[in-house]
Amino acid sequence: MFKFIRVNMTNKEVTISEVPEKYVGLGGRELTSNFVNDEVKPTCHPLGKNNKLIFAPGLLSGTAAPNSGRVSIGAKSPLTGGIKESNSGGTFSQNMARMGIKALVIEGMPEDDKFYIIKINKDNVIIEEAPEEILGGCGNYKAIEVLNEKYGDKVGIALAGPAAEYRFATASISFKDPESNIRSGGRGGLGAVMGSKKVKAIILDTEGVERVPVADPDKFRAAVKVFAKALMDHPVAGEGLALYGTNVLVNIINEAGGLPANNFTGGRIDYNDNFSGETLNATIKKRGGKGKVTHGCHRGCIIKCSQWYADEDGEYVTSGLEYETTWGLGADAGIRSLDEIAYIDRAMDDIGVDSIEVAVAVGAAMEGGLIPWGDGKRVLEIIKDMAKPTEMARIIGGGTAVVGKLCGLFRVPVVKDQAIPAYDPRAIKGIGLTYATTPMGADHTAGYCISGNILKVGADIDPLQKEGQIEYSRAMQIGTAAVDSTGMCLFVYFGIADNPGGYQALIDMINAQYGINITATDVDKLGENVLRVEREFNKKAGFTNSHDRLPEFMEYEPLAPHNVVWDFTPEEIDKVFDF
Amino acid sequence: MSKKGTIEVRGFLHLDAFIRKIQGKMPLILDLDAPITGRELAERLDISPDEIEVIFVNGFVQELDFIINPGDRMAFLPPGCPGPYRIALGFYGKNQGNPANFKIKKRG
Repeated sequence: MFKFIRVNMTNKEVTISEVPEKYVGLGGRELTSNFVNDEVKPTCHPLGKNNKLIFAPGLLSGTAAPNSGRVSIGAKSPLTGGIKESNSGGTFSQNMARMGIKALVIEGMPEDDKFYIIKINKDNVIIEEAPEEILGGCGNYKAIEVLNEKYGDKVGIALAGPAAEYRFATASISFKDPESNIRSGGRGGLGAVMGSKKVKAIILDTEGVERVPVADPDKFRAAVKVFAKALMDHPVAGEGLALYGTNVLVNIINEAGGLPANNFTGGRIDYNDNFSGETLNATIKKRGGKGKVTHGCHRGCIIKCSQWYADEDGEYVTSGLEYETTWGLGADAGIRSLDEIAYIDRAMDDIGVDSIEVAVAVGAAMEGGLIPWGDGKRVLEIIKDMAKPTEMARIIGGGTAVVGKLCGLFRVPVVKDQAIPAYDPRAIKGIGLTYATTPMGADHTAGYCISGNILKVGADIDPLQKEGQIEYSRAMQIGTAAVDSTGMCLFVYFGIADNPGGYQALIDMINAQYGINITATDVDKLGENVLRVEREFNKKAGFTNSHDRLPEFMEYEPLAPHNVVWDFTPEEIDKVFDF
Repeated sequence: MSKKGTIEVRGFLHLDAFIRKIQGKMPLILDLDAPITGRELAERLDISPDEIEVIFVNGFVQELDFIINPGDRMAFLPPGCPGPYRIALGFYGKNQGNPANFKIKKRG
């Protein structure tokens, strides 16, 4: 029996039931967004008792499907005020799936000030007080060590770090990875929701559980083989990401003139070599020791875009040093040293904050005169101070929109109060439409596509022209919503967009696992429905089309080197969701 | 932009290390008196066309046969750019005449 678990933090009651009929066959983002739309009061305060937090593995999580170990977390976002699906790697999703848990809901709110741990094994769910030693500023790395010691080092762990305990709008939910390092459900402040419900950690103990059932193992195995080959045969998934990580984009986006610099006042820098993927690769190789050029954030990942970055003595500093973090600290905030960036990345994981939101908030704070431009040491201090927290730490922890307001800035790069990531929409127009219209707020991951006809949709795109961009953004958002529901890592996109056989193999895996018969059209419809549900929630929460806009300054401040502005009209932007 | 009579050449992914070796730095500054295609430049630098998905010229994605002029800034990009940016930056749009480049071949 698949389980749907509800934990009520007001009265500490736990309900374990079968999956409600309407959620049968749903997973990942499709499940979390439908649930949030069904059960969360759209006008509730996100940090109050009426918000609900839902964790859901994807349809294929826990199986041998490559790259299927992603977890979706849903709630009303304290950062945007709209619906949020946050997504992470790590071991949590596979553990949930192996335990037959299709969803874990946390609702209500304790009246006391204590923090709790929810411990789940194959037989029951126990709520107990969190050990003192992991509270009050204890970093996530140490907390994982303590919890591994207490509950066994095979357990899955989801953590509300110090920032989440203090309910920062930038607080992430931190997840243990296979080596007990940290991955993040970063965007949208869902860590603060977890913290508001006084849940410090969720422990998954898979002792004694069986394998995830598969309806047709032979068909499944065959589809896995085709899918894996499609990924490995593609130079992006098969080589580029493994060797250079997502930082491979630093040089590419810089060359294209779309790398936002100094709080979005320029599109290209001349010190990109300092922290490009190529430099990251060379530095890790040169230093040896514990450094690894390639690493997977969950077992079964065959793309392995992550890495272990080591210091000059070869000691581990951080892993999962992503393009968006490196861009934000390096180009947007002007921090030139890759080492300083790596230490800040580690600190952000340890405190549990969204590295994109905080990096962009730092850039805005620099323009606002709160922090000297490019001062990596000061930034590291502030992040570490989030454990206390100091007033400055709270300001930065409030996110970019808050910093912008406090500093009296007009140049505040957010959509729906969420920071715009590492691709300037003036120079890459299609991305701009996604930032503007996705129900998630400015989100670069909302626009990945698995549609087999993406070449038809995107074949004629020119980044500085308007033609085709509306159709491109629409198709990408629909496709992404579908991928997010399967539990697959978005990077499987590469084995699919250029390879119709790969796309069919994904569908075949789902069909073989559940003994069903969905088609590519069904998957497209799935994506459309997820987006409809999310927009419905946002509308009820008070959002209108007027929120689907980029910041005004992008309409009149040209971005060098191409000297372009954002010139889509409101009417054109509104066409993206015309379906 | 580079000085008249020269071009700036960059390489990404594994071509970063390759280009760096030529003059010991990045970008490579090459003398160029007359226009040249990306393909001819690649040949001159001993880079196989199979190792190039698109080129950049003055910040725009172009196909391999695009003309590079003295004073231009260009870059060679092997297959491997992740993300929907492959589409958003126009890789497919600029590669219509060269099926080899976006039907990516596995290198042996």
